[in-house]
Formats: sequence, C-alpha cells, structure tokens
Amino acid sequence: MGPSIPTPDPVVVRALLARRVQVVAGKGGVGRTTVAASLAKRLARDGHKTLLLEVDAPDDAAHALGVAPAIDTPREVENNLWLCRLTPEGSMREYALLVLKFKALYNLVFENRLVKYLLRSIPALGEFTMLGKTWYHFEEKAEDGTPRYARIVMDAPATGHAITFLAVARTVAEVVPTGVMREFAEKMANMIESKDDACLHVVCLPEEMPVNEGLDVLRMGQERVRMAPGLGFVNRMLDKRFTDAERAVVDALDDPELGPFTRVAQLRVDREHWQTDLAERFAAASGLPTVVVPETVPSPTGWPAPEHVVAVIDAAAKSADGEASDG
Amino acid sequence: MAEGLGPALDRARCVVCVGPGGVGKTSTSAAIAMEGAARGRRTVVLTIDPARRLANALGMPSIGNVEREVDAAAFEAANLSPPEGRMTAMMLDIKQAWDDVVTRYHPDPAKRKKLLENRMYVAMSTALAGSQEYMAMEKLYQLASRKEDPLDLIVLDTPPSNHAVDFLEAPSRMLNALDNDATRWLLEPYTSRKRFSTKIFDAGSSFFLRTISRFTGAELLQELAELLAGFSGMFDGFKERAKAVSAILGADDTSFFVISTPGAAGAEAARQFSRRLAEHEIHVGAAVLNRATIDPFLGEAVPSPAALEAAVRAAGGTDDLARRLYDEAERARVVAAAHRESAASLVGDVPGPVLLVPQLGRDVHDLVGLHQLRNHLFRPGE
Repeated sequence: MGPSIPTPDPVVVRALLARRVQVVAGKGGVGRTTVAASLAKRLARDGHKTLLLEVDAPDDAAHALGVAPAIDTPREVENNLWLCRLTPEGSMREYALLVLKFKALYNLVFENRLVKYLLRSIPALGEFTMLGKTWYHFEEKAEDGTPRYARIVMDAPATGHAITFLAVARTVAEVVPTGVMREFAEKMANMIESKDDACLHVVCLPEEMPVNEGLDVLRMGQERVRMAPGLGFVNRMLDKRFTDAERAVVDALDDPELGPFTRVAQLRVDREHWQTDLAERFAAASGLPTVVVPETVPSPTGWPAPEHVVAVIDAAAKSADGEASDG
Repeated sequence: MAEGLGPALDRARCVVCVGPGGVGKTSTSAAIAMEGAARGRRTVVLTIDPARRLANALGMPSIGNVEREVDAAAFEAANLSPPEGRMTAMMLDIKQAWDDVVTRYHPDPAKRKKLLENRMYVAMSTALAGSQEYMAMEKLYQLASRKEDPLDLIVLDTPPSNHAVDFLEAPSRMLNALDNDATRWLLEPYTSRKRFSTKIFDAGSSFFLRTISRFTGAELLQELAELLAGFSGMFDGFKERAKAVSAILGADDTSFFVISTPGAAGAEAARQFSRRLAEHEIHVGAAVLNRATIDPFLGEAVPSPAALEAAVRAAGGTDDLARRLYDEAERARVVAAAHRESAASLVGDVPGPVLLVPQLGRDVHDLVGLHQLRNHLFRPGE
C-alpha cells in the first residue's frame, strides 16, 4: 500500500467514531455495506449501543453480518448491535402512528387504497419518513433517560441517491411552509447537519470511477447536505506481491515460452501501482483521514468478512500507547 | 464467441444497455456509440447517470442536457482517427428535462408558469420514483422522432437496476402515481368548485383528507393538489408519448444489450435480465461480460516449473520468486476458466453473441480506453 497516504491520526479517528450518527456513502459496489457493518460491529464491541440502519436495500447488511434480516423494527443481532432495514412503507406507518397516536385511525385512513395511492404521489415522502425514523431512533431514550442508541451507523444508498436522501430533510424544511412536517424536517436536518453529532464517511475502491464518485459524494455531501466529513475508506487494496527488484527480474525474462508468466506478473505489479496512485489521489483530494482496507478473500457466503475490516478500523483508532476507546 | 457486436449494431437504430450497477454499462455504451460513429452513422449516446462517468470517459469536464460532439480534435489528441460519422454525447438532467417537457407540451400558458414555479414541482421532478426513467424515455422519444438533423443511431445507457423491467415499467408507475383515482379525488374540491384558489381544507373537506393533513400538514396537501392540478391537461400527452416509446423499445430495429460481469453471479444476473426482457417481447441483441480474466496461456500447454525456475535464476531471481510467478499465473488460469465457463453457460439463453471482454489495463477512463473496449466488443479475438 502507498507509503504516501498519511496514516490517520488515531485521535482524529476516535473523535469521528464518537459522533452519534455515522453515514457511510460511496459508489455502488465499493463495499459500503461491509464498511458500515464493520463500523457498527467495532462500535458495539467498544460498549456502545449501536444501531445499524440500512436504507431500503435488499438486506445486504444482514448478509454481511450473517444474520437474519430485521425489517422496520430494530433487532439485537449481537451484543450491543441492533440491525434494522428501513422501508418507505414501514417508516411511513410509524411516522403516521407517531402523529396520529391512534392505531384504529391509522388503519382506517392509511390502509385505504386511495390514501395509499395519494401518499405515493407525494415526492420523496418515503425518503422523508425513513430519515424521520433515523431521527426518531437518534432521539429515542431508554428507561433511564439515556439515549436508546449511543451510535447510529447508516448504510446509505449509492452516490446520487444518498445525497437526495440526506438532503430531503432540509428540502422539506424549505419547501413546506409550516406545520407538523416542517417541524420534523427542521429537527432531522439539524441532526444531519450537526458538526458534533454526525459525519459522512466515504468509501471507494482504488479505481478511477469509484474514486471520482467518492470525491463527488463528499463534495455534494458538504455543499448540498452540509454534512461534516468523516473518514475515507479505500477498500480492497491489493497487497504487494512482487517487489520492484523482482519486477526487474520478471522484465528481464525473455523466453517467449515464459511470456504468460511475465505478463501476469507485470499486470499484477501495474495494478498495484495504479491502485496506489488512485488511493493517494483520493486521500489528497478528499482531505479525509483515509483508512486503507487490504483486499481479502471473501467468505463462503461471498461477503468479505467484516472482522477483517473491523481489525483495520481498530488499528486506525489505536494510538501507539494503546489507547483505543472512543469515549 | 468470435462474433462481435457488429451485426447486431448494424441492424439497430436504437441500442439500450441494461444491467446491474458497477459493470461498466456507461463505458460500454460510449464504446458502442464510438463504433457506430466510426461506421459512418450520426450517433448519440445518452447517459442518465448523474455521476459524470461518461464525461470522464470522453475526456469532457461535463456533459449537459444538450448534445455535445466529441470532436475530431479529441480523437486526434488520443491518436485515433476521427469517425466517418459523428458522435455526440448528452447527459439527462432530470430537472431540465421536466422543464423542457412542461414548456413544450403544456397546453395552458398560465398553468404552465404556475407549475414551473410550484415549490413541490422541483422536488417532484428529481425525487419522484421512476422520474429518471420516465424522462429518459421522453428524451429517447425526442431524439428518435427528431426531424431536423436526424440521428442514425441512439445508444441509451440506463440506471443500474436489479431487474431489467424496472426501466420498462418505471414510467407507467410514475404516471400512475401522478394520475390515478386518488389524485383525482384530492383534486375534486378544485374541479367541483371551479375555483382554483379554494382551500381544500375547510369544514366541508373529507375526514380522510383532514386526517392525512394531520400527517403531512395541510399546506403540503394543498401544494400537492396545486401541483397535480398544474399537470392536468398534460396526462394524455404523457401517455401518448409513453406509448410511442414503448413502440420504439419493442421495434425490430431496437436492440437491448445486457451488460454484466463474468463469473457465476454475473452470468446469472445477465440470464435474468435477458429472460425478463424476452417476456416483455424486447429484442436482446447480445450479452457483454466485462472485466474478464483471460487465460494467460490461451489454452496452450503450461511450461514446467523447472523451466521457469531456471529462467528466473538466470535473470538473477530466486526460486521463491519463480514459485510465486507460477502461482500467480495458475490463479489467473483458474479464474479465466471459470469466466469462460460462465459465458458459455449463457450461450443459447441469450439470443445473439455472448462476449467476454478482458479487464482492460487501468480502468476505461479516456478515449483510448474506450477505443480498446470497442475493439474487444466488435473485433474480439483480434
């Protein structure tokens, strides 16, 4: 891995991990879910009651954790770790019950076919209520008055969708004149925009487009969502299999019979170099404390083992003196 | 698998690239357009990807809602000969596309202005589910039916999805969300009282509406009603054009190319896409599996480890290096075999050729990379 990617300051990493709302964004297919699940695992292990939220996705987080899905209602899947996949319908139902207070009334009105149709035609209402549910869990208190969840890790949708989703609270607050919805929207937007409580982690692969999109999502996250930047993750970085001296030996092999060996090794070394370039570019251009996650062999389920990423995050949060807790 | 996409391209006036996310759909679309232009056709590639991927690949800082030509200078700068025909690119700007449609088709100037100024309109145009797909289709219709400066080939990139039919069905779902029994019912107070300014939430308004308004706020419902009222008069046009686009998508000279990745999961995704498209009576022209590993020995005998060891030693390397070189090639050989097998399993399930495109150097992010990709797509094995 590239020596010129500065190792993140563990104090900074710990400060970011102490934020209560951690959103994980990036291009599709870069490993957002794996990073989000690993972050949640790490926080839960550190003793924080942690809720891992997945936004209207096909239970990828459950697969990554190797547990049964939890839809619309958080379920404790391991010590201190709760999982919940948000759906627009489920979130809308909860929001309606919260406002209306009476289940009978809800059933009468919201189970009505026409009303269902009507609600579907309100743009972004699904996103709004899903973000609303996030806020609800953020504010939710345990019986002793402390927050029900000390940390909320959100596996956000891919790039553009993530931005639309996160910006929906501020959009509604600006578009809707007054009323109950606007009040909610203000509170949700304040949570997302809080510099103390929330941050946006960006995941990318050391490849051209994923890096570009990672930088895009970070920029839009700051400009359009006004979210504080978090950590950068460069996922699936190839380990270095051949040294530069070995590469020179390979280049010197001139037996055409052995050409395939030469080409495979050269391609590998070239890829390692591009990846280092791109990882460095991401770290420099994003300015984020950047954590490099080495490529790993996927588990039998096809999902990379979260433990692997947990260990990487652990290492990034650990100071030389062994201090590792994030308060 | 020696046949490239050439015959399928030559038969098509419209090529639609579909597939899951992260499989190189956008680059593949651009490479197909490049080939079309090289074959002398006036070609446009339309991407609906807001993430500037196509612009990146074409070496443009950005692509907007209007066609922009990839000019001769850009090709020359990449040491490529400029196309016989013409290649333009455009990106769908959803908000702008909605504005265009409203401006072009709204029958009532006063309502049109009011609609464009409605605060929910902006949110709707970008956030309503299916809006993107719907507007891609409106744009496709505009491009396909254009009389002045007609196009010979339209290459359409689509948003990533898990099901091919998302793209086909999203427009009708979106139209249905705007115009249905429920929205007409919401608008009833307007139409019955014939006065647009009448508030719908007065003592006489329905119990249902009052209850929903506790949920959404009365103002929001009011705005929604105004928004929907603003669209009235446009729905017939929406539907007509959606129908026309359906006809284009199902036409003989429209070909869907399924783009995916090699390996069991990627091939299965391609198979599902192809199957669903066939169910909708859509012509599938080819399947493309990008980023394949190619057998380094190309099926020839693998030299013995001893020969490699001797050569490495002669070049000043250790036996350990020789072993690792051997392992590396062996790994590639195993992966390549799996990739070939996954492609072979698709033959017959997908009408038309199944192409395995090798992983190309550093990602495809410029014209040179697109040119390479295009050679693999149209001249495989050369």
